[in-house]
Amino acid sequence: MHGCRPNHVIAFIRPKPRQPPNLATFVVPLTFNKLDLRDYLYHVYNVEVTAVRSFINQPQPRQKDGQRGKWYRPRSQKMMIAELVKPFVWPDPPAEDAREAFDHAMFKRLQKERDDQISRSMNPSNIPLRTRGPETQERQTLREQAKEFLDRGEWTNGRTGDDTWTEVEKDIKV
Amino acid sequence: MAMAASAALRPSMAPLGRISAAAAAAAATVTAAPGRTQTAAFSTSAVLLKRHRYPGARSNKDYSKKRGESALRRTGTRWRLSVSDEPLPRPVPRDQLPAIETDPDHGLWEFFPDHRTVAAAPEEDAKHGRSWSVEELRHKSWEDLHRLWWVCVKERNRIATGNWERNKSKLGFGEAEALGRDREVRATMRAIKHTLTERFYAWEDAVKLAKDDPEVNLSGDGPAFTPSHFLEGEEEAAVAPAEEKEGEQHAAEGAEETAEKTAPAAVAAADPATIPASKPQAEAPRL
Repeated sequence: MHGCRPNHVIAFIRPKPRQPPNLATFVVPLTFNKLDLRDYLYHVYNVEVTAVRSFINQPQPRQKDGQRGKWYRPRSQKMMIAELVKPFVWPDPPAEDAREAFDHAMFKRLQKERDDQISRSMNPSNIPLRTRGPETQERQTLREQAKEFLDRGEWTNGRTGDDTWTEVEKDIKV
Repeated sequence: MAMAASAALRPSMAPLGRISAAAAAAAATVTAAPGRTQTAAFSTSAVLLKRHRYPGARSNKDYSKKRGESALRRTGTRWRLSVSDEPLPRPVPRDQLPAIETDPDHGLWEFFPDHRTVAAAPEEDAKHGRSWSVEELRHKSWEDLHRLWWVCVKERNRIATGNWERNKSKLGFGEAEALGRDREVRATMRAIKHTLTERFYAWEDAVKLAKDDPEVNLSGDGPAFTPSHFLEGEEEAAVAPAEEKEGEQHAAEGAEETAEKTAPAAVAAADPATIPASKPQAEAPRL
């Protein structure tokens, strides 16, 4: 390693739920090969490896600018699974209620907002019923006022009657 | 009757014969003539009768090695195996297996900040200083720069691991802080490259100068640097009047001798700042 200054970036990935602890997954540069990873782990991290498996994840073609734009395929991603001599068990992720350091509550709210917005824009014809959504402040006040009137038992609009109007129910001598 | 016939046709099915020995014996007693008692559980006569001995007879070999074996009827194998009486191991559920201990000195712990947490909190990520400047790194030895480079490489791997984990496990915010940290690390790496490139250019220039320098010997034989005394000219002038009667040749020899004598003294009295440190400098501080 004398005089060697590679600047590759390698990410160590949490294993899948049923993955045995002697397998360690890494995201590596596309130029990496199995021997590179073996050498890298041995010389930089002093980790011995018996075998390396590698595969490339090819993403779906996407459009540059949302719905309209030039079609392109994002860069692929290479992953390698190293078979370790000494097993390594990943530590558990922090629990849902132990993520205040990451401001998890706000993060979740924002995520939900974004998801809702996307689903609304994806199906614009799917307009939700007004009764399904949360009640607005105006409707709440209106309901309270109506209840108040009903409780009082009498209702008036505060206007005196007009002379030109006649009450139909009364007997009028013609 | 059917049982007896099948047993007779399959003489080599020892386990089968053993399993159904009682039934076969019962059937044999039924089919046998009243005067003769059958001792064996099955008879081999049928196969012997089937064997044709005349020339050109077709082979009557049973080519089906597993004839009569059935998983549905649980017949087992035709021959008794060495492991037939061994109890089969039972699979243990995954959650009842003993927990696997990870070595606390495992090298892969270095992919995590403080060797334990899976991803650094944004507050912790933001606790970083500025990058190393080129001016600071110019004073560092080659070993120091090399060590600092690998510290940076590991830090970038740590940041990439934390980014991936934060996104996949949906931990929360912290991308901006990680990016800021990564930027400083990359600036340090750039400065290291800058410093080393400068040093390389300086070395190239020095080689070019050394080719014309009489004090430097680039051939590889003998000392690479033989400094000539910088007071040579003045001493020669001082010695010359005393040895005027001697020939010019002698004077030149004397000058050479004095130069040789004074050279070690000059080295010993050299400015200490110009002598390179024999010990490598202390380890560079971690980022």
